[in-house]
Amino acid sequence: MKRAGLAGVFLIAILVPFFLNQYWLHVAIISLFYVMMASSWNLIAGYTGQVSFAHAAFAGVGAYTSGMLALYGGVHPALGIIAGTLLAGVLGLGLGGLCIRMGGIYLSLTTLGFSEILRIIITNEEQWTRGTMGLQIPGVFSVYSKTHYYFLFLAVTLAFLVLMRRLLNSDTGLAFRAVLNDELAASTSGIDTVRVRLMAFTSSSAMAGLAGGLYGHYLMLITPDIPSLGQMFLVLAMAVIGGMGSFAGPIIGAIALEFLSEYIRIYGEYHLLLFGLVALVIARFAPSGMVGLWEKIWRRR
Amino acid sequence: MEEKVKPVLEGRDVSRSFGGLMALHRVSFQLFEGEIVGLIGPNGSGKTTLFNAITGVFPPQEGEILLDGKPISRLKPFQICRMGIGRTFQIVRPFLKMTCLENVLVGIVGRDEKGTSREERVEQALSELEFVGLGGQSHRLAGSLTLLQKKMLELARALATRPRVLLLDEVLAGLNPSEILQALDMIEAIRVKRKVTIFWVEHVMGAIMTACQRIIVLDQGRKIAEGPPDEVRSNPRVIEAYLGGADA
Repeated sequence: MKRAGLAGVFLIAILVPFFLNQYWLHVAIISLFYVMMASSWNLIAGYTGQVSFAHAAFAGVGAYTSGMLALYGGVHPALGIIAGTLLAGVLGLGLGGLCIRMGGIYLSLTTLGFSEILRIIITNEEQWTRGTMGLQIPGVFSVYSKTHYYFLFLAVTLAFLVLMRRLLNSDTGLAFRAVLNDELAASTSGIDTVRVRLMAFTSSSAMAGLAGGLYGHYLMLITPDIPSLGQMFLVLAMAVIGGMGSFAGPIIGAIALEFLSEYIRIYGEYHLLLFGLVALVIARFAPSGMVGLWEKIWRRR
Repeated sequence: MEEKVKPVLEGRDVSRSFGGLMALHRVSFQLFEGEIVGLIGPNGSGKTTLFNAITGVFPPQEGEILLDGKPISRLKPFQICRMGIGRTFQIVRPFLKMTCLENVLVGIVGRDEKGTSREERVEQALSELEFVGLGGQSHRLAGSLTLLQKKMLELARALATRPRVLLLDEVLAGLNPSEILQALDMIEAIRVKRKVTIFWVEHVMGAIMTACQRIIVLDQGRKIAEGPPDEVRSNPRVIEAYLGGADA
């Protein structure tokens, strides 16, 4: 049953480019980017309970590292994206090392500060980044094709999700959940809670770097919007509305909200406001999100 | 005097204060292999604080705690656990949103051993659950268990870390008389079959007086008495601590 469902989803995912026009294919590609972002953010926020606001910033690190390496160093995007992933991971390790012991609201504030500092640096270092004008960077393929990009994003997203699933089912994943459930009980059961949190933070940051790098080379124009807080809150809303702490939640949330936001695009930036409100209501009344609601309805039948 | 046996767990002049409050004042104690020692005292006398000091949750500010002669009071809780001290909590703290099996697996993962396969660890976890009488419950969420079952699950998790010393913090509180008997059997089984030394805080006096060979009494952060249950029971300082002084 579950296997058949997964196979069905996979089949649909493969057939998507043959049915969607270029515009909706673009939306599908962007939603795959958000699947990676929301899922990896869920890894820290949903599974170890650390609400980081630096996730979009790490995507920015990935995008600008890879983009600038390609533009100024002639490095192939594939290598550049790996470099961006690693740099995001290293920065994540550093930032995490600084603020993980503080935990809670202090971690949120520190990551918020980091995020804004990064955005301001990128905006102001115009001679390198062209600031808010955006930096034009080369794409991954020599011939531009949305279908190629779609399959690239799909392959990376799938690999990404398989990797995450493995991590969560491993001893490390068990430790993540133990720390989230009860930090004191975990530490007196032999779990090195600081190390577990740091691992989650670092791997999640690296994943955001990877997603950001790919995203930049797809758009071929990177702007300080990628590491912006607006972007961050969109990712947060996706994870919360979809269902934090569940594997499927952020995936569903990301796809649903990205497609939805295309429909309500005419209202401009107000869609963020709407998503914020919906996320707030969900967090208050259905903390396990759409996935949790679905399970509840399913059980009642 | 006979040859001195080395204690498994020893505290030397352990002190801990919170702000201006002296929660523990130069408390010394010794636990020997295979012993079961009771720790009693009125509310707020420092029993749980002593457990927190031993497990590194609130490390002692002065004094030293030794496990097998090795100082442990500068170590972190997870390191102390790995060295062989397990504990349960006064208010039970199983991982509520995880299954019983997963709860116990955390304790096994916490040992941080290399070279055991996932299957072996699951098997170990299942046998721990069996040991505490939760054999059929492995896939139930810990949050859905009864209080007694939660306490047993916590014991299984602590046992999974393979402790040499187990600190029990009021395992009997909130249990009915027949559950108390079950829990007492379990504690005795842990001591005899698993060869674990037990340090036990309890308010259920009858139970702790019969089960323990030695009792340590704390009052306002100080050790006021220590000895066999009968001796402690008739100690005037202990009676005063529990019932209030004659002039009070």
